[in-house]
Amino acid sequence: MKRDIYAYRCRKCGHLHYPYRMVCAKCGENEHNEFDPEPLPKAGTLLTFTELYALPGDFEVPTLGLGIVELENGIRITGQLRIDEPASGMKVIGEVEVVRNEEYEKYYGMVFCEA
Amino acid sequence: MRDVYAIGIGITSFTRLEFPLSEIAAYPVMMALKDAGIRKVDHLYVANMGSARVNHQTGLASAVVDTLSLTPAGAEVIENGPASGASAIKQGFLAVASGMHDVVAVTGAERMREVNSLEATGFVATLTHPLAEYIYGVTLPSMAGMFTRAYMEKYGVTSRHLAMVAVKNQDNALLNEFAHIHQAITVEGILDSPEAMTNNPYVADPLRFFDCCPVSDGGASVILASRQVAEKTGRPLVRLAGIGQATDTHCVHEREEPTDLLAVRRAAAQSFEMAGVSPSDVGVAELHDAFTILEIVESEEVGFFKKGEGHLALERGETRIGGKIPINPSGGLKGRGHPVGATGVAQAYEIVLQLRGEAGKRQVADPGIGFTCNFGGFGNNVVCLTFAREN
Ligand SMILES: [Zn+2]
Repeated sequence: MKRDIYAYRCRKCGHLHYPYRMVCAKCGENEHNEFDPEPLPKAGTLLTFTELYALPGDFEVPTLGLGIVELENGIRITGQLRIDEPASGMKVIGEVEVVRNEEYEKYYGMVFCEA
Repeated sequence: MRDVYAIGIGITSFTRLEFPLSEIAAYPVMMALKDAGIRKVDHLYVANMGSARVNHQTGLASAVVDTLSLTPAGAEVIENGPASGASAIKQGFLAVASGMHDVVAVTGAERMREVNSLEATGFVATLTHPLAEYIYGVTLPSMAGMFTRAYMEKYGVTSRHLAMVAVKNQDNALLNEFAHIHQAITVEGILDSPEAMTNNPYVADPLRFFDCCPVSDGGASVILASRQVAEKTGRPLVRLAGIGQATDTHCVHEREEPTDLLAVRRAAAQSFEMAGVSPSDVGVAELHDAFTILEIVESEEVGFFKKGEGHLALERGETRIGGKIPINPSGGLKGRGHPVGATGVAQAYEIVLQLRGEAGKRQVADPGIGFTCNFGGFGNNVVCLTFAREN
């Protein structure tokens, strides 16, 4: 099954939000149902990144790549990296996968590879 | 608004403490009351972030007020993440300035070593965005790592500059008997020596072990009062002259310029404006160096140095005790330690001590104006305080 992460577009002024907000950050429109969800693009540019060595207890890997990516439509997203030698400015492509596996719940998020 | 004075201060050792959290919060109040020469307060504010999650205790303020036999004074907990301390001081200020109370106690306390360090880091990580950050395994050190990389690439800050902050603050902490870390280090020892990769491993590349503050237990307290009460103490008059607070986007990735800390810039500007002073008037500052990079960037954002030049001032020694603007003479979060709820109050403790001229071996010469920056989240909720010595 192909999954997506959604951004939310204000019906009044067109401003796109990720993550979700109840009130538009640009025009202040406060009817929270006045946003249209739209899937985020998967391709983008890596802005910055880290390799984390001290992981939260529920992660069963020795280290974890994390980064901030600017997607094709200008929206930025935090995600996991599956890249051996990441570099700022690198073109990346994401996929929605399980990013955190807790006892009773799986969480889906964006995982990026080199494009 | 009435003028508000810091009339008493108290602190515990910052370390691993085998006492109940309520006693860690109460002890510095007892010391601060003794320092001010008073026995009673109208109200108690307790800054704390983790009692419910880490220590399985709620209603902490009710426990502390009773431990101190200060009942029936009102009491409540103020939680604003790692900026809880300065937020609680702000609430105390408002109570006295408004005329509602004449004298209030503010205490900040945390007991984080009750759990292991991974659990403590996991607890602090709960302040990140639940759906857009937390689920990925994002922790505060990882945010700091990403921020540091962006800053290095844009402004030419290097690992050596970061290590220089660690060395300076751990040197200062050697002069502070209450500090968590009493260990002299050198840039060579933690970066260049063959042992560097083992004694200073990566935590969140490019940040290493010595770039991160320790996980500490501890408490600190400040008594705030009206001028009428302050004059009766016969102690040096230190006025809480300015308070500023600003927020920023919850998600770090939403910030237009990833290397800016706008909430720091705005909170500092408000605090200076309220106090009627400028950054160049400040004689001593305590900045929130949870990670070494933050001391450098905050020193720019609050206006001590131009954006992108904080690391150059550090190289010139301007932020040492004896330099142009001494930063973190207490050792900062890096050296003194970081019991999250206590930190903002501990910063105020140090500034009051310095402005009174009572800081002993780490005393800054005649500072006049002191400043604190207490940084909540990863810069999404920042509280800055400006203090002035009056007599
Ligand atoms: Zn709008």
